Amino acid sequence: MSEYGYLPDSANIEQSFGNNKGILTPKDIYDLTRADKYTNYGQLELIETQTVSSAQNVDFTSLGNYNVHLLTVNNHTFPAGSQDYGIRFFENGVLETASVYQYAIQQCGIGGSYFEAKSTGANHIRIDNTGSEQWIQNWYCYFYNLSDSSKYSFTTSHKVPERINTSGNYNSSGTYIEFGSGVLKQASVVDGIRIYNSTKTANAGTLSLYGIRYS
Amino acid sequence: MGLIQVATETVSSPVASVTLTGIDSSDVYMVAINNFIPVNNDVSAYMRITKSGTADSTSNYDSAYKYLKSHTSFANSGDANEDKINFGNIGTGTSEGVNSIINLYNFNSSSEYSYATQEDTTLNSSAQHQGKQGGFVHTVASASDGLYFYMASGNIASGTFTLYKQVGS
Repeated sequence: MSEYGYLPDSANIEQSFGNNKGILTPKDIYDLTRADKYTNYGQLELIETQTVSSAQNVDFTSLGNYNVHLLTVNNHTFPAGSQDYGIRFFENGVLETASVYQYAIQQCGIGGSYFEAKSTGANHIRIDNTGSEQWIQNWYCYFYNLSDSSKYSFTTSHKVPERINTSGNYNSSGTYIEFGSGVLKQASVVDGIRIYNSTKTANAGTLSLYGIRYS
Repeated sequence: MGLIQVATETVSSPVASVTLTGIDSSDVYMVAINNFIPVNNDVSAYMRITKSGTADSTSNYDSAYKYLKSHTSFANSGDANEDKINFGNIGTGTSEGVNSIINLYNFNSSSEYSYATQEDTTLNSSAQHQGKQGGFVHTVASASDGLYFYMASGNIASGTFTLYKQVGS
């Protein structure tokens, strides 16, 4: 018999996504799925959801084998105080904390002010920062080439936060909708993503990481 | 939202162009691009939409983008009646290529223009990080069925281009 399905060996059938042949057993389907050869439509695949109740950082360390990932962040809530918020990567299990990240973010102020946030030597890819206030962060980010050892790792992101001042009120003039991109400009295998806060511990939030299959 | 793969092409040896087709419904479609890299150094990477599988080279592309540059001030662009969409100049150094997510709207409509939102993250041909966010519209009210990618000169050296249908969106 062929390796998969009820097919004669002589047929020498090669199974692949979009081109499966024969009658497949549940074990065949399991094995082919693990081999990335089973036609199973639905290519936005949830890798992991983490619900935060008390965490300064959120780490995703099982990324799977995808060219493109999508992270969604919902109601990631931090208390008041000076803090930086962004993305760091693990390379072969080691967190990269050096000033080797680059980013360029357009800040669109609800109060009407627009700013450029950019760096060619940051220790994280910026999502936001504040000197004193509280946040509720909502955003998404696409990641490119994380698992490719010969390529740099890139991001694009878009964020809609709520900023709360020290009196506990919504600070519309200090709230910026932001979009932008970043890069870890060194060729390496990135096998983990940290959603990083420099000083504060989140008390709520739901973060989901997806892989975009066959991207 | 779920994604269903409609078409994909991985370039591992040089080709003149890549065409993704298969848009045949009113759903929103998404294209994921990574490592879109040229054979020649310092050339523009281009995109056109396809009508019945053929790239449309008429001067009906309107676009507006914010260029997000890590190394210098940001820039704006707005162009009307162009004959293509320009990703910008890329090169042959490590990762000097385009990574992008493009969402496609109304492409299958024969009575509406074809719209797209776009977010790119690239290294340019000087190895400088540059993002780009914005969108474009093809101002012809006829059905479009995909996208076509090519270089200003020379071939595409590598890249993965995948078209998905968004379901549940």
